[in-house]
Amino acid sequence: MPTLEVAAGPAHGRAVVAAATDASVAELVVAAQGGHRGAFATLYERFHRAVHAVALARVGPSDAGDVVQDVFARAWRKLGDVRDPAAFPGWLMTMARHRAIDRARARGPVIEAGPDRGAPPPPTAEAAAALAAIRALPEAYRETLLMRLVEGLTGPEIALRTGLTPDSVRVNLHRGMKLLRERLDGGTP
Amino acid sequence: MSDDYLWDRRGADPEVARLEALLGGLAHDAPLAPLPERPRRRAWWIGGAAVALAAAAAIALVVTRGAGSSANGCAGGAGFAFRADGETRCQGGVAARGVLPVGGWLETAPGATAAVTIADIGALTLAGDSRLGLTATGSGEHRLALTRGTLTAEVVAPPRLFVIDTPGATAVDLGCAYELAVLPDGRTRLTVTGGVVELGAHGRTAFVTVGHTVTTAPGRGPGTPVAFDAAPALKAAVERVDRGEAGALAEVVAAAGPGDTLTLWNLLANAAPAERPAILATLDELFPRPEWILADDVVAGRPEVIAALRDVLTSGVWLAPDALPPPPPPSAPPSAPPPAGTWR
Repeated sequence: MPTLEVAAGPAHGRAVVAAATDASVAELVVAAQGGHRGAFATLYERFHRAVHAVALARVGPSDAGDVVQDVFARAWRKLGDVRDPAAFPGWLMTMARHRAIDRARARGPVIEAGPDRGAPPPPTAEAAAALAAIRALPEAYRETLLMRLVEGLTGPEIALRTGLTPDSVRVNLHRGMKLLRERLDGGTP
Repeated sequence: MSDDYLWDRRGADPEVARLEALLGGLAHDAPLAPLPERPRRRAWWIGGAAVALAAAAAIALVVTRGAGSSANGCAGGAGFAFRADGETRCQGGVAARGVLPVGGWLETAPGATAAVTIADIGALTLAGDSRLGLTATGSGEHRLALTRGTLTAEVVAPPRLFVIDTPGATAVDLGCAYELAVLPDGRTRLTVTGGVVELGAHGRTAFVTVGHTVTTAPGRGPGTPVAFDAAPALKAAVERVDRGEAGALAEVVAAAGPGDTLTLWNLLANAAPAERPAILATLDELFPRPEWILADDVVAGRPEVIAALRDVLTSGVWLAPDALPPPPPPSAPPSAPPPAGTWR
């Protein structure tokens, strides 16, 4: 695709040129709004793990993957709704939460903690127990811990992808990990 | 132990590293699925204009059809497009579809529903035997009035852009999905299924997150939000607190569990100074408070500190439980409204 076709102005030009390297999120969003699939693919590379963690906080592993694809397909269609490109991370995370909630509700309530219905079992029983323990934590800690421990994002990366301040992410990680240690040590995941 | 490794992998933390190794296999690594075709936009303002024109054309189409299908008074001007399933009246005239104008009313018969588009930020469904008015719509606010019945709304928009008034309260969207109902006895019930909503009236505000419900009454402020799956004893105690019964607060504090922190925070925000220490102590047990939020400031009732505590409690929370418990049934009989003048 002749990528410069979408570069109708200086901002687009910068975004297109930088899409494969180190463009800012806002530049990528502007380019993707102009129809640049490469820019959107770069956004996917940067955000898909965070979206997966948001989904995994609410649905099982197999459903979480579906939620990721659903969220990005919707984001592609609705990207024009984003008036402030810098607000993209929060917009995407909100959409991910809504889609995951919808998926969870479609699945129906699961009263007991444990593997989700219809989902393949996690790799090991120990991993399942750890995942269940994280998902039983207070709501504020789940997403950040899943981004850190499952998706491998660092605290600064989590802040960039969620729009939370680094201090908030650090507090969530610290307090969440403290609770998680207590629960795993206490055998009550 | 230093949190450096947890924060950015500097140093070492064997337990965190073990959990990473244990859970890393669940990480997402699938490629992006093929994207659907989408009209390309050469610049954001061109695209914006195209969207605006498309929206205008869509509205015009709906208006034209509405006018042709007896949408009395709902065939022109700015408004929200709607499509009815069952007997629905717009401005008194039967209409299968049309545009609800600013200042206009939409009424559904029992058993009917109407799907309403909320500008470009979401949609709502008006249940049967309901009445909904459009008060205002613009870039700064979309405002509706629900005077009878029930609606469910889902909105993706900046906070406070979408507002619904009822006879008993005002629901302010903070990015969410929810059900709002005017009960037969005049009270308003808000049930949040995604995100956060504020329900306010008479100088009192309830901050309601996903998985919680709250009820209010005409002439009084909202009560205290409770989780869908809160223990019956806690729900009963909260109702007594909202009625102003002495001693009920102690019952709530004693019965509260990890899923009730939002309830406790709302109580804290509206409590008398002497009541705050007990609420805060329980909250601290259930949800460790950051060190920078000082207990003395909370007990003193400093609004900015109590707000900060709320933000920490709900950080990242658009937050649903893994499996959201079912909300209360729409037809649940309301319990007796509290007597006048006893709100805390």
